[in-house]
This record gives sequence, structure tokens and C-alpha cells, in this order.
Amino acid sequence: MSSDFYTSSILPHAAIIIKICRAYTNTEEDFEDYYQEVCLQIWKSRDNFQEQSEWSTWVFRLSLNVSLSLLKKKKNNHQHFASDYSPVELPEERTDNTDDSFKQLYNAIRKLSEVDRGVILLYLEEKSYQEIADIMGTNPNNIGVRIKRIKERLKKILDGKIN
Amino acid sequence: MERSIESIWKEGFLTSEELVVPKIINLYDKKSSHLVDKFARMFRINVKGIVIGAFVVLLLSWLVRIPYMGIGFFIALIPLAYVNYKLMKGLDQIDKTVNSYSYLKSFDTWLKEMISINQKFARVFYPFVLLAVLAGYWFGPIGGDMPGEAFLAGLKHQFPDMLLIFGYPLYLTLAVLLILALVSIFAGRIYMFDLNLVYGRQIQRLKDILADLEELRKNSSF
Repeated sequence: MSSDFYTSSILPHAAIIIKICRAYTNTEEDFEDYYQEVCLQIWKSRDNFQEQSEWSTWVFRLSLNVSLSLLKKKKNNHQHFASDYSPVELPEERTDNTDDSFKQLYNAIRKLSEVDRGVILLYLEEKSYQEIADIMGTNPNNIGVRIKRIKERLKKILDGKIN
Repeated sequence: MERSIESIWKEGFLTSEELVVPKIINLYDKKSSHLVDKFARMFRINVKGIVIGAFVVLLLSWLVRIPYMGIGFFIALIPLAYVNYKLMKGLDQIDKTVNSYSYLKSFDTWLKEMISINQKFARVFYPFVLLAVLAGYWFGPIGGDMPGEAFLAGLKHQFPDMLLIFGYPLYLTLAVLLILALVSIFAGRIYMFDLNLVYGRQIQRLKDILADLEELRKNSSF
């Protein structure tokens, strides 16, 4: 990957890639692996971008697909990762300045199903229902109801009503 | 006042260090490790394993003086490797940049096609392998005594009145044909058992995620 491509095409969207990767990982090591893999896949797949959607939407979609695949790979791997045994929480050294509510929200998002995590991340990034539907491969009518359900579930997790 | 999820999310990133970009290290060396890649890798190894196995069995069968079994295995395994090699090419062509549902659905479609082709192949493959084993023990070494003939002579001596068909005991022949037919009928299930031993957990994960995505697509489920 050229540093030009990374700087011009990936770095401006690094924030969203990071948010996705963090939602699908529990440790810093896994997060960095996911981030690198997403960047690699963006670079490898760049010729498939057909400008039918925004570059940012395409990056989001690819990041989500790669994260879902890596998660499946990890779960299927016979070799257990450290994170398989660690409680779902942000690494301590990174959380000193982090708002408690935010930490709890991120942890709650990690407790959702893989698909729900993707949907709520898109919603929180203020993507339209149409964009969310395009990325997830569904129709916009279903998204609103799904988001409502996810928010209710998140609230219950945050209130300690469910694990 | 209770803060909304949206405001916690927005404000969280303003104060936290969560958005620090990690360093990109040895990106070229990072192996592509997602599910489809892993499947492709395992598939490639399996195909190579089948080819190597065909030659190893052929060699071993000569060493233990049952070459017909080795030849039979070889004839069965090489087309199996070829069919799966062709299938592997399709797996490499799955587009990762489509939406999540289409991406997983493409993989699922490929998986189903692969299973269907291999199940059909298994109907011939398993009986053929069984016949190869029988042939190996019946004919023995090339140019040597035939253990099958000795067995047949012993049987004829013990049961002189037994019914024969083309010189072979009728009931024994029917029993062998019945077993071959049953193996062929249940070949699909035997193949699925084989497949699940290797890829079972991955296939289950794929089904779970697809089911979740399909639920998302149905109006009635909400």
C-alpha cells in the first residue's frame, strides 16, 4: 500500500474505521489487527469502488464486512485469543480520560449481536436509514424499527437490567 | 438529566483517546484472515492433501501387496481433487465490497453449490472406494496368487450346493451389491458428516449471521 493512498483515501476516514474496529474487539491487540486488516482490504479492493456510493459509505461497508469476517474467524479459531477470556471492557491505559458513560455505552454496544452492532454504529454516525439499509443489504423500512429495538436493548444493558 | 445514547456517543469521542490512529506495521505481511480467506486456505490444503493422499495410498498399496486398492483409490481421488480445485476458483472470485448480506450470501451460495456437487460426486466416490478395497483384497498382488479365488474355492468346498452367478456366490454378490447401493444412497449424508467435522463451526456461524440479516430484511419480523 502506498503511503499516498493511505494518507489521501484512508486516513480521512480513519475515525469511522476505528469506531467499527473498536466495536468488534475487546483488546488493543485485536483492535490493531482489525484496523490493519481493514486498511489492507480497502487497498486491495480499491479497484472495485464504482462510485455508485460515497467513498465514505464504501469504506464503512468494507470495514463492517471485514470486521464481521474477522470476528467469525476468531470465534471459529481453535486457538483462543486472550480476549476470549477477558471481560468486555476498554483497555485500562486508554480509558483514563474517557467518560464513564461513554465507556459503558461502548461496552454495551459490544454486547449486541454482530449485525446490531453494525446497525447502531451507522445510526450513531448519523447515516440515513437509506444509507444504513444500503450498507446492511436490507430495506429502509426495517431499519427504524430495528434501531428502536437496539436502543431499548442498549438502555437495558446500561441500566443493568440485562447482561 | 439522563443523557441520550446519541449525546454520550458524540461527546465520548471528543474527550476520549479512542480515535488515536494505530500505526500501520508490516501491512503487506498481514495475512488476509477473514472467514472466506480461511475457507479458501483450508480448501486449498484439502485439495493438495487429496492429491498427495492419492499418491501415498498408491505407493503403500504396492508395498503391502494390494495394488488394485491403491489404483482404485487413485482413480477415485484424482477427479475428486480436480472437481474441488475447480470449485476453489469460484471461491476466490467472491466480491468483498458488496453489502454485508450480499457478501455472506455469495459465500453461502458458493458453499451450497460446493456441497451439492460433492454430494453428487460422493454417490459414485464412496461405492467406488469400497469396491477398490474389495478389489485390493480379492486380487492381491499383480501376477501373484488371488486371495479371492482361494476364498471362493474354500466357500465352494464348504457349501457345494450354493447358488452361483457368473461363478460367484449369489447371496454374497447380492450382499455386496446391497452394501454398495446403501453406501451410494447414504453418500450425501456421509459427505455431510465429513464436511461438518472440518467446517461445521464455520458453517454454523455463517448460518447464524445470515439468519440475523434475513430477519432484518423481513417486515413481518418487526
